[in-house]
Amino acid sequence: MRKIVTAFFLLLAALCAWGAQLRSRGSSNAPILIDVYSDFQCPACKMLYERTLGPLAYDYVEKGKVYLVHHEFPLPMHAHAMEAACYACAASRVGKYEQVSDVLFRQQEIWAANGKVDETVCSILTPAEAKKVRALAKDPAIAAEVKQDIQAGQTAQVNQTPTMILTYRAKQYRIPGGNYDILRRFIDQLLSN
Amino acid sequence: MRNVLTVLRVALAIVFLYAAYTKLRQPWLLFAMSIDAYQILPEWAALTLGHILPWLELALGLLLATGFALRYSAVGATLLLGLFFAVMLRAYALGMKIDCACFGFGEAIGPATLARDGILLALSLSLTILAFRSGQILAASQT
Repeated sequence: MRKIVTAFFLLLAALCAWGAQLRSRGSSNAPILIDVYSDFQCPACKMLYERTLGPLAYDYVEKGKVYLVHHEFPLPMHAHAMEAACYACAASRVGKYEQVSDVLFRQQEIWAANGKVDETVCSILTPAEAKKVRALAKDPAIAAEVKQDIQAGQTAQVNQTPTMILTYRAKQYRIPGGNYDILRRFIDQLLSN
Repeated sequence: MRNVLTVLRVALAIVFLYAAYTKLRQPWLLFAMSIDAYQILPEWAALTLGHILPWLELALGLLLATGFALRYSAVGATLLLGLFFAVMLRAYALGMKIDCACFGFGEAIGPATLARDGILLALSLSLTILAFRSGQILAASQT
């Protein structure tokens, strides 16, 4: 019995790790790892996504210098954040995490007001993908994956969104704010060491 | 009065020295990012302040600890804490979800951080008043 329970939890952990991998960008061998904890309904996360993560991906992630891992951290005060996180995780299973993240942030004000997360997400999916994502979003395994991300954030003492944690040579730095120019200087300084 | 003055001086010295320590042990660019997150200063000013401010806090801490030029250091501490309190209050009133960056990172601005800075400001103001008063008493006793 004990072995079965252990195996179950190991399988769950492996599934969650796989899920996180599906929500990552870049090479896992990159010298810098950046973990981003964000909430699709949080306006500051939208700003970070648009002003910082976009150029970061272009300048560093695509060049193999930074490995970017997204973690869902829906805040309880945001009514539709959990649903949005589940849809994004579900979309990662059909290879559409980036596209779904993009539409959720771009149309944040609309779905946050009317609660139409499903409509927003499915607007950029094919009918077959939409059907699969809808089913997956209701799957308890996806909800468990989001909860696992929240727990990981709590362990890392994440107390607000967005939070970026940069890891370089086993040393962790909490990145305050989202000024891309200063972040770029910091990354360049680390890489030149 | 002298005992109160000493307690206030040492307490504030510890606060400033600890604040400087938490900032100097981290890369200065991260502190500059924290300043920039308040969205008050242009980027060049945030970068300059990110360099200077921890050393200013260290200098104030050392001056307060030794009691040298107490009136000046007390006024400096009060002005600095007043400035910190004002910018934090502004950020909170605007609903900005940012780090306080008072003692390192990961501490969001909220009622607790505002209350703490308010208390520190009140203590620093009291120290300044007492430092000037004790100087006046000393001068009066000498004449």
